[in-house]
Amino acid sequence: MGVILYKEPKFDKPDLIAAWPGIGNIGIIAVNTLRGQVDADEMGEIEPWDFFYPKRALINSSILETLDFPFSKFYYKILKQKDLLFFVGEEQPTNGEKVYAEGKKAYQMANLVLDIAEKFGCQRIYTSGAAVSFTHHELKPRVWVVTSQEQLTREIKTYSNTILMSEIEGRSERGSITGLNGLLVGLAKKRGFEAVCLMGEIPDYLSGVPFPYPRASRSVLEILSALLKIEVDYSVIDEMSFQVDEVISSIYEKLPNDIKEKIEQRKMGRLPALESITEEDGNWLKEHLDELFRGGRGNEKPS
Amino acid sequence: MRNPLSRWKNDLEYTSLVVGWSEDAGKLGDAVTNYLVEKLSGYLYYEIDPMEFFPLGGVTIEDDLVQFPESKFYICPDYRLIIFKSTTPSFEFHKFITRVLDIAEYQCKTREVYSIGSMISMSSHTKPRQLLGAFSSPEVKRDLDSYDIECNVNFETAPGQKPPLSSWLLWAAQKRNLIGAYLWIPVPFYLMSLPDPKSHKKMLEFFKQRFKLDININDFDESIKVQNEQINEARDLYPDVDDSLKRLENSLTLSEEDNVKLAKQIEEYLKARTN
Repeated sequence: MGVILYKEPKFDKPDLIAAWPGIGNIGIIAVNTLRGQVDADEMGEIEPWDFFYPKRALINSSILETLDFPFSKFYYKILKQKDLLFFVGEEQPTNGEKVYAEGKKAYQMANLVLDIAEKFGCQRIYTSGAAVSFTHHELKPRVWVVTSQEQLTREIKTYSNTILMSEIEGRSERGSITGLNGLLVGLAKKRGFEAVCLMGEIPDYLSGVPFPYPRASRSVLEILSALLKIEVDYSVIDEMSFQVDEVISSIYEKLPNDIKEKIEQRKMGRLPALESITEEDGNWLKEHLDELFRGGRGNEKPS
Repeated sequence: MRNPLSRWKNDLEYTSLVVGWSEDAGKLGDAVTNYLVEKLSGYLYYEIDPMEFFPLGGVTIEDDLVQFPESKFYICPDYRLIIFKSTTPSFEFHKFITRVLDIAEYQCKTREVYSIGSMISMSSHTKPRQLLGAFSSPEVKRDLDSYDIECNVNFETAPGQKPPLSSWLLWAAQKRNLIGAYLWIPVPFYLMSLPDPKSHKKMLEFFKQRFKLDININDFDESIKVQNEQINEARDLYPDVDDSLKRLENSLTLSEEDNVKLAKQIEEYLKARTN
């Protein structure tokens, strides 16, 4: 179990930005967009076979040509303003059938990522994911901020469109971040790094849909851009958002009117969860979203 | 755990490893490895401890019998064959495969690895079984081309599916420069959870020829005959079974619903007849 490094560049206190797939692929879209914009180079990878089952075998004329595993790669870019290390995982390692990382494998992978961060002198680690929220898809997603230190929280809170978990309507100061995005910041704190998790808001009723939510990725990217002082071209992510918005609108139109009315109230102001859609409505949405996505029956919610 | 070297015969030269998994369609892996161990007087050499590789929060029950994961190496010294018969692990796959190959390569001097498997086929049981192969190198393919194996298979894992563990084992053998072959047989879908003696015989024909085994695989002819007769009885009793099988025999497809129904009827009938 280990890391293969293709290059060992000389860094000046780089920041590490890590992402894995998750709800709406919010973090990974933001990080991949930034990685592409700075034209980061591949630097190495974590050997996959101890973490993942292969995803594809290719047999050509009865010869086993390849066995592909999900990748977990490091990239880097040396910039005037800030040296950057990226880590992008194609899948989260799990012990069983769950989608999000947990247990020994996740802990081992998080430690390997931080070993590389430590080796190259990183001081700050960023992860990014989704914040399932009682918001509306036409509202600009906010970015929930969780950090390893109060001082860091104060620093990042100065950026616009950020919000702390404790400031969310209807929530207490307590919460959790599932999967590697959470585990990595926790472990980073334990190992003495500054750690920041930026979570883009996704409406609760879209958290189970099988497509990305790039509007939230844009919000995360805006904060990363400001923090790292890197100018970002948002045209590609905006085009993606436009296309996804059209899909969401078509699904939304098919929602039963009573649910739609309640969700619409969210646009008037960010209402506490319990004053918005009921648990029953939420369950109905979860059960029927696939059907709505496929263009099936819409207005047949039992009263 | 017992000492893996305690029962090893030092005079063995290079050996070949045959790997079978117990969850195969048509019970292929179990049947072939059990047969080889029994007929070649194989003795238990080593057992991999299940703790790291299987969920041990309880046991499963099949046909009123307790099932417990097993991963056992048997040695058949007269033929320099090592048989590894195992339940498919649930996690730590790479570690498991590494352990299997380490024991085979370093303790049993294995140079050739044959992994056997089956896949679900939508064809009828009356059609001949075909042995397909994937190999670690063109040299291995050339070496095995003279056997009755389909050696021009093109295959890519479909999106959303996972490759079988045998292809991982073949890949790992390839990385060690071992001679590796993954051999599999398409089994009619309605025999998935039943023994398919035709596929057992087909696989054993290859091993008999390859290792010049002194075994009489015509032992399987009686089982094949009995199964065919029982399926014919089911055809006579249930017109829809006969209708579905005729469609398959004519290379026509069945609806998903008819597939499920046929599999259920055949399975229930054959199990009732066996009991």
